[in-house]
Parts: sequence; C-alpha cells; structure tokens
Amino acid sequence: MKKTHIPKLDDFLGGGIPEGSSVLFYADPGVECEAFGYQTLQSRLEEGDHGFIFTNVTEPSSILYEFEKFGWDLEKEMEDGQAFFVDGSSYFIGVPVMGKYSIEDYSQIEKVVHTAITDVPEGVGVINNLSALIDYLDPGETVGIIKKWNKAARENKTILLYIFTEWDYETDLIDEIKDSMDCLVNLSTIEERVIIGQGFMVTGATWTTPSSSMVLFNILRPGGVKIFIPKILVTGPYNAGKSSFVKNIAPNSVSVDKMALGQVPTTVAMDIGHMEHKGFVADVFGTPGQERFDLILDLLSKEAVGAFILVDSTDPHTFPRAKEMIKKCKAEAIPKVIVANKQDLPNSLTPDEIRKAMRIDSSIPIIPVSILKNEGIDEAIDALLEILYR
Amino acid sequence: MSMVETGIPGLDELLSLNDGEGFPQNTTTLVYGPPKVGKSIFSYQFAYHGLDLKEPCLYITTDDGIKQLTQNMMDFGWFLQGFIDEELLYVIDSISSLSGVRVENTATYASSKINDPTDLMVKVGLGTRFVFKKSNEFRSVFDSLTTPFVFNPEPMVVRFLKTYLRRLKEAGATVLVNYTEGVASPGTERILKSIVDNVIMLDGSYMTFKSSYDLMGTAKYDITDQGIVLGEGEIL
Amino acid sequence: MIVRITSGITGFDELTVPGDDLGFALGGIPENTITLLYGPVGVGKSLFCHSFTYEGLSTDEPCLYLTTDQNFSTIYHNMEDLGFSLQEYMEGNMLQVIDASSNGEKMEDSPTHQSSHVKNPTDILVKVSRGINSVSQNNPRFRGVVDSITAILESNDEMLIMRVLKSYILRVKEAGGTAIITHTQGSADPRTEIIIKSMADNIIKVDGETLVIESMKGLGQKKAPYEITEEGLILGKEE
Repeated sequence: MKKTHIPKLDDFLGGGIPEGSSVLFYADPGVECEAFGYQTLQSRLEEGDHGFIFTNVTEPSSILYEFEKFGWDLEKEMEDGQAFFVDGSSYFIGVPVMGKYSIEDYSQIEKVVHTAITDVPEGVGVINNLSALIDYLDPGETVGIIKKWNKAARENKTILLYIFTEWDYETDLIDEIKDSMDCLVNLSTIEERVIIGQGFMVTGATWTTPSSSMVLFNILRPGGVKIFIPKILVTGPYNAGKSSFVKNIAPNSVSVDKMALGQVPTTVAMDIGHMEHKGFVADVFGTPGQERFDLILDLLSKEAVGAFILVDSTDPHTFPRAKEMIKKCKAEAIPKVIVANKQDLPNSLTPDEIRKAMRIDSSIPIIPVSILKNEGIDEAIDALLEILYR
Repeated sequence: MSMVETGIPGLDELLSLNDGEGFPQNTTTLVYGPPKVGKSIFSYQFAYHGLDLKEPCLYITTDDGIKQLTQNMMDFGWFLQGFIDEELLYVIDSISSLSGVRVENTATYASSKINDPTDLMVKVGLGTRFVFKKSNEFRSVFDSLTTPFVFNPEPMVVRFLKTYLRRLKEAGATVLVNYTEGVASPGTERILKSIVDNVIMLDGSYMTFKSSYDLMGTAKYDITDQGIVLGEGEIL
Repeated sequence: MIVRITSGITGFDELTVPGDDLGFALGGIPENTITLLYGPVGVGKSLFCHSFTYEGLSTDEPCLYLTTDQNFSTIYHNMEDLGFSLQEYMEGNMLQVIDASSNGEKMEDSPTHQSSHVKNPTDILVKVSRGINSVSQNNPRFRGVVDSITAILESNDEMLIMRVLKSYILRVKEAGGTAIITHTQGSADPRTEIIIKSMADNIIKVDGETLVIESMKGLGQKKAPYEITEEGLILGKEE
C-alpha cells in the first residue's frame, strides 16, 4: 500500500493505493485538482520511489515553479534522476522541449507514456491532464489508450494518477473512462451562487469499500492539500434561541468570553461547539449579535460554509433584524437556513407566514422547529446539508 | 427585467424604444464581427462605464496582457488605476505568462495560462467569488475567444465557455463575450450564438443587437477617440 | 494621445496624420503596435520593410529583422541600392538579423546575424526572443520586421505558427517595440488569415498600385496610390 500523505485520503482509501493501481481524480470545473496528483507524487518521491509527470497543459518549467510554490523541490528530484517529465506541451506552443521524453505529434502519446510507465516500476506516473487529451485524440481512442496504459501499469506495479476536469463530455465517454479505473476520487465544488468551497470524496475503489464522507479542503501554497473542518454559524435576533440551538446540535459546546480568531484578540461572547450529523462534521459558532456576526464572518469567511438564522416565530418585531443578517449572509455567499423556533407556542407564525412577513424568496428554506420540544432540528440540519451537497 | 447602462452613447436609448427595457441585466451577450471593427473597444467601454457606476467587473483578458490592456484603455482616456485601488476591477490575465513575464498576483489580479482551461476556470471561480462579495450586481467581460481558439481545440473552448457563462449568470453578472467571426468553424460559431442570451453584431459601420426575447435593433456607429458612439438607429 | 514613429516611406507619414487635430499631430506608424502588411507577391512589401528599418536605424532605433524569403546577403545589397548602408549599424550592434531563408549562401553566424530555418519555428522563436532581449536592453524603442510570415506558414502546421506569432507579438510589445509583419494574402487557410488580422493592431494592404490602410489605431481608412522607384516606395496624395 503506497500512502499519498494527503490528509484523510489514505484513510478513505483503506490505507493507501496498492501498487499498479490507476486512480482517477475527476473534478468539477473550477476545483484545483492537479495538487492531488503532484502531492501524491511528492510523497512517493520522498519515500524513495521513482516517478514521472506527463503534461499536456503546461510546460515543465511552469510545473517546477508550481512545485516550488508548494514548497517541494522537484528540480532536485529530477537532477537526482528520481523523476522526469514527459513533455507533451512545449512543442505545441513553439517552446523548446524539456524532459526525458517529449511529444511532437499526438500519435506518439500512447507509446511514449507507455515507455515512461515501464521506466518507473513500483513508482508513480501523473497524467496531467486527461481532459486535454480527449480532444486531440480521435473519438474512442482515449479509452483504448487508457486501458493500455493501465494494463502496463498493473504489469509494472506502477501507480497511475489521472487528473481529469469533468467538463460536459458525453456521459458514455465519462462512464467508460471511470470503468477503466481502479479508483475514483471526486473533487467537487460547494456552491451557493458562487463557489464557496471544494471537497473530495472517494467514490470507488476496487480494493476497499471507501468511506462515504466528503472532506472539505483548500490548496495552500506552501503546503498543498489541507483539509478543514467547516464552520457553521448560528445567529439571529436576541432571544430567538441561538444558545439553545447550539447546545442542541453541539452538545459539548462552551461559552467563550475572550478569544483570538486569526491575529486579532477580541472580546466576544460566543458559544462554540463541534457537531456531527450523519457523517458531516463541523465546528459551530453561535454569535450573539449583528456586530459580532460581521466580525466572525470576516474572520471565518474562507471556512464558513453555512449559517442557521434563528427567528422567534412569535415575535414579528424581530424579523427586520433577522432579515439584515440574512442579507449579510447572501452578500457573503453563505448558504443559509432559517430556523423558525418556538413553534410549540400557540401564537407562533407558520413558515409560510414568516416568509411572507419577511419577504424572503423561496430559495431559502424556513424550517419549523421547537428546541424546547426537540422537534425539527434534524430537519433543519438536513436542509443545510442539502444545499451544501446539491 | 432590470437594465444595465452600457456606457455606449445611443445604445441604451435605442433599446429602450418601443417599451423595451434597455440593455438587460444578468444576461449573456456575444459581441461578434470581423477583425478590427471595435469589439474590444465595446468591452472596454462597457466595463469602464460599470466601474464608473461602482459596479465591479471581472475582466478576463486573453488577447492582451494587463499592461497592454491598461494602455489600450488609456488611449481612450479610461484610466483603471483608481478602480484597481478600490478593488472594483478584478483581472484574470491568461496570456502574459506566455511571454515569460511573471506579474505578481494581487487581491484583484490573477494570472493563468491560455492553454490550461482547468486553471483558468479555477481563477474564474475565485474571481467570481471575490467580485460577488463586493456587489451582487456586477459585470464580466471575456475578451476575447480568439486566443483561446488558437491555443486549444475548438470543443474545449466551447466547453469552457458554457461553464463560464453558467457560473457567471448564476452569480448575477451581466456578461459580454467577444468573438471574431471566422476564427472558429461554422458549426462552432452556430453553437456560440446559441448559448448566449443576446448577440451584438458589429460590421464596421452598423451595430445590430438581437436579444433572446426577439428585440432587434440596429444603428450606425463610429469609433471616436472617446470610444464607440451610435448614430441614427431603429428597432426592427 | 497616440504616439507615432516615422515610417521612412515617402508620403506615408503625410497620409497618416490624424484628421481632427489642431495640426500638431504627426503621422507615421503608431508606436508599440503590430502592423500587418499584406498583398500579392512583388508589390513592394519587402521594400516597405527595408525603408522602415533604415528609418529606425538612422534615428537611433535598433532593428530586429527576421527574413524568410530573401537571404541576408540579398537584403544587404538591396538596401545598398536604395542608398541605405548597413555596415556601421551592424558594427554598432543596432541591426540584428535572423536569416531563416532556405536559399543562397548564408553569411557566417555572428552575434548580430544568425541563421535559422522556416521549418524550425521553435528555433526561430528562441533566436527572436533572444534578439528582442538584446536590442531592447539599452533602447526604450526598437523596430521589428517579419518578412514574411507566409514562408513559415507554408512549412508548418498553421496553428502552431499562430501560437509562435502570438508569442512574438507579446514579446515585442512587452519590450516596447513596433513591428511589421508581411504576408502574401490567399496563401494560407482563410481562418489563419483572420487570426493574423485579429492579432495585428494595424492592417495595410498593397496591390502594386494602391496602398490601403484598412485599419490603424487612431485613424479611419485611408487610401493612396504608390509607385516602386529606385528610392523605394513613394506614395501619392490621398484618394
């Protein structure tokens, strides 16, 4: 089993990648996917394996620069003969080729990469990227070539990592590509009108039953793939039930008076906890008021993926306040769910009535809840998760 | 439907005739025509006017790098520095890297590679999020499709464009895409015209606007040293 | 305000004076732009380039000259016939030549004169890039000539040449240069020719009798008759 050393990925893969396996990293357009191939290669090189990068989207010198930005010295590994390039990019833009092998005609690709695979037995090859190949080869040729490469990889115990951006190709083609791989890792976007995050999940592996969890990540330079635990904010007007909500979904939450978020030490009264719901894991931050909310939003903006806005269903006077907070979330592209609390009381408004009174459009869910009676809370969390993983 | 001010004297008025709404907001428009008829100038004017109105702009430049783009706009008296300082203009420069120039990325400038649509889309995603947070009503310009077609297979450019249009529209932007007629095959050109809401055709003398809800207008136009100006026009 | 550099072609600068000014503006070729000069064979495109180059040299602007049809020896003698002496400029490193022609005897390689081949566009681009670095090092402006792009297109995949051309254009502009690219219209794929027109800033057409400025920064369309004489091209009054 060869470890990738990408956080959580080895766990999802049941320990790592068996020798000779083919792995397809398939990404929604907009997700940074090549880091997965590069980081795995780097980890393997550090453990003494040999490897190569086949590139048809960018010249080798740019890739060396990318590695440098990540904090990895690919140049040295190349000089030591541990790694080499198959340059399928330079010739086609009129730049001098670089690397052990180079491609000057697309008909050469199959054979040259095949040779590279046999050059690194028990090593790693990165194909960056498959999307660019499909248009340069004849239709139908791509799958045939992949199968030949994977066969050679299996025979040589070489791991092949394919980087693939899933543009809108024919479904049949995509299915055929996926079927010819030993392992599938999906890199997807989390969107709320704009891309607010990216996550990865192993969706198939011939050697193990992968965990069905998605993990959110960022690509850091330097650093590489870093996973993060998403932050969920709980906010709302005074007395809507925020603290109770946080305590309910994050049972071990604590109230904090002073903390340092990022660089700034600040006096904030907040409830902070950790929640787990059907495999989804998040840190929860309950904020007391608008000003603090703005502050927290700024500090956590990179990792905040959702917000629960509590409203007191019996007190329409507080609706404008809630509306301000919703607007703020909207502006920050944070998915949100309105939790209409205190449904147990006789004078509570229904979600539809609340929607009318607040003039909220139908895209934002309003979930009826009674924290007192412990009703509706699961539905509220499900509603937020549905938006995130849609 | 609400409207957006284009900044092209005569155009908004022309489109407002006959109970029209002016230039429609949150739509995608293909600006096409032969080389050298003023398509880029149209985009500069459109972007600049928006900036003047404090509407942020996500500008993706593929034919010219940021330095050249800034210079081109200066020729018409459109100065970008102030808007760059105010972080209203976000530029994705996918061509400067080809000449080996390494311009430092900043909060509002990202460089990408013309032959790597995956990377370009990543930068578009980041830029869209940034601009969206500045204002939920913003503009985006893709200037132009020529260089992408030179460096990538046609189907790939089309796939990229479809994703770009979908994402930007979802985020609430009003989008302009430039295309030089004849650069791609006729089949691809048909696809390009079919995946946008409106088309604006420039032929050197006349500008014709056709929207998806069947509004069609045409007018004479000139390129002056203050940009494009429309002359007499009519709704068809 | 668009800055222009003197073209060196008699009558051209007068033709290109922008009309709406107070009379202070001068004509010529807009600085830091790329001009496509196209037309059939034998109408004076190379002559235009010779004059353009010499005008630059005699006003202290170095020139990077890429030739693909005429070899350098021919150019040297043609320019002598026009009354242009290149010797001192070569000695002063003001003229850099890349000779990618495939005929005649080549001169020996030197720092200011190198050979390449139209069948090897990567090599051409490498030498041209080095040349641009070299001429622009101590000079804020320089002139570039590609005469012609046609020969390179004929020997290679056209799209590859478009990419190389784009790289060339970017580098010239980045370094502050002004370049002319010649082309024999109709010899390449129509799509390629549209791309070239798209990449250029100014487009001039010559047909043996008339010079038409189809597009130029800061100027409308202009036309003038011209003649090929022993002193080069001479333009008549605007039509």
